[in-house]
Amino acid sequence: MRGTLMDNRLGRKHILMHFVILGFIGLLILSILLAVCIGSVKIPFYDVYRIVLYQVTHIEVGDPEILGGGTLYEIVWNVRLPRVLMAAVIGILLAVCGVVMQATVQNPLADPYILGISSGASLGATFSIMIGASTVFTGVLAETGTAFWAFLGSLGATALVMLLSTLGGGRVTSAKLVLAGSVIASLCGAFTNMMVYIGNDADNMKSVTYWLLGSMVSARWNKLLLPGICMIVGVVFFLTQMRTLNTLLLGEEAAITLGVNLSLWRKVYMIFTSLLTAIAVCTCGIVGFVGLMVPHIVRGFAGSDHRYLLPLSALFGGIFLIWADVVARVLLENTEIPIGVITSAVGAPIFVYMMVKKSYGFGGQNP
Amino acid sequence: MNLKTKEIEIVLSKKEIVKKVSIQVKENEFVGLLGPNGSGKTTLLKSIYRVLKPQAGLVLLDGEDMSKMSYRDTARRLGVVSQFTNMSFDFSVEEVVLMGRAPHKRALSQDTAEDFRIVEDALRTVDMLDFRNRSFQTLSGGEKQRILLARTLAQQVQLLVLDEPTNHLDIKYQIQIMDVVKSLGIGVLAALHDLNLTLMYCTYVYVLKDGKIVADGHPEDIITSELIKEVYEVDCEVVRHPATGKLYVVYFSKAQG
Repeated sequence: MRGTLMDNRLGRKHILMHFVILGFIGLLILSILLAVCIGSVKIPFYDVYRIVLYQVTHIEVGDPEILGGGTLYEIVWNVRLPRVLMAAVIGILLAVCGVVMQATVQNPLADPYILGISSGASLGATFSIMIGASTVFTGVLAETGTAFWAFLGSLGATALVMLLSTLGGGRVTSAKLVLAGSVIASLCGAFTNMMVYIGNDADNMKSVTYWLLGSMVSARWNKLLLPGICMIVGVVFFLTQMRTLNTLLLGEEAAITLGVNLSLWRKVYMIFTSLLTAIAVCTCGIVGFVGLMVPHIVRGFAGSDHRYLLPLSALFGGIFLIWADVVARVLLENTEIPIGVITSAVGAPIFVYMMVKKSYGFGGQNP
Repeated sequence: MNLKTKEIEIVLSKKEIVKKVSIQVKENEFVGLLGPNGSGKTTLLKSIYRVLKPQAGLVLLDGEDMSKMSYRDTARRLGVVSQFTNMSFDFSVEEVVLMGRAPHKRALSQDTAEDFRIVEDALRTVDMLDFRNRSFQTLSGGEKQRILLARTLAQQVQLLVLDEPTNHLDIKYQIQIMDVVKSLGIGVLAALHDLNLTLMYCTYVYVLKDGKIVADGHPEDIITSELIKEVYEVDCEVVRHPATGKLYVVYFSKAQG
């Protein structure tokens, strides 16, 4: 006899989770709408939405004076909205990459940066800021900016990590990958610090630090395009991979015996997440903790099944970063706090809470 | 379904672990793989379920070279219960068993009521239905072992490879698991330590020592006190039980004289 999904507890969970996902989509939209209204310049809700509505649909509401130009228009349409959207896009990217990376290296402590991306990006960015491409190169390369070098550094470091983990032959194991990541991180860190030390320029050092901690301050519509497209492609791709990601969590051997071509998919996932993370990093610097913490928080209430974990983490990551960016904008008057400071400061106590709460074991054995 | 290995050779860290091993599991045969610790049983099995690549030799499934098949195809025909390794993420028991359906699913296909029914049947078969909502991590070793068997049952394969399936199990569940596997009526290749269980269930055995097959045949013909002395270096006597009419092994210990 054929039953229905409702006959089974897992089936019911499946249906329930669809509502939770819908709820989170609502929260994300609400967060975007609210966050646009908050900032150092007080703008009434009414004006904010008149401007957004006019720009999107060309429907004029109220006084048409401010809708297509002027200071208010500039702030709402060209500064705040792209910035809020950028925070959402980066949050989604990092959370998704975190989920996938944890499954790929089968390590609950993995984050999007584990394959040396952040250290490589730091090295590239520091080189660009402290020394400058134009002092070393001529021609096209001399024109390249910090974002380009950060991107190059990320990919270079990741390529080295993958190369290192295949040394000595044998299967690429998650332990080898994590170790190779640490090796490259410490190597890149050494060069970064040397440049900062030798450069010894207070202003440049400040911009390096600022860059390393991440910020949405440079967000504009034209800068949103690339990460936006990457985010959509990435999310869609990984949503088709949820079953394989689940089997990866069971361990390397189990994945193979359940029909997963482990070495192939692991490579595909690593290359793909590295590219996505590198895009995020070269746009907004290194926003820490989101890619590590968001998947763990979501596992706490939705479980490890990627069918729920992946979409919920993406949405949660977007919402979280929007509000982190709001705090970064408004906490201190006339000063922007790097967003990485906020995410780490908020993230640490949440992590402690979850450590203390026994029902969630961080993937390890529950006592 | 018929499984054959042809002159498998495996070298790990420059040491030859498996030396030209050819074995066969015929349709519906329950084949035991015996041998002391370190004789290469697990390594041989790993090359059969494709976690290790043999340096030489072939594994044939119904005459088809397995290394040329997709992993998904292999997983639909051949199921594995291997020695338990720790999982670093937690799932519910039911979710773990449901993953046995993975090789039958396309990337975007949903779980159906049929899948849930198969999962439920598998859990009932290993006597773990009451544990369906429990977190897998909180189970004992023996319970985990039974869940992994249930996952393989949900896979609905025609051939089972078991690596010491009765490890961690108390005697009740040792017999229960062997009964379950036997009652499936499919081909089984099982590495076993317990010679009495081997005598009870297997229809054919291969004995492995130092990576080589040293004996094979029907268990009643193969398991003798001479062979056990030679392979395991243990004194024993193989006797026929008056009630069951089956052979069983009694071991002698030096300490008891």
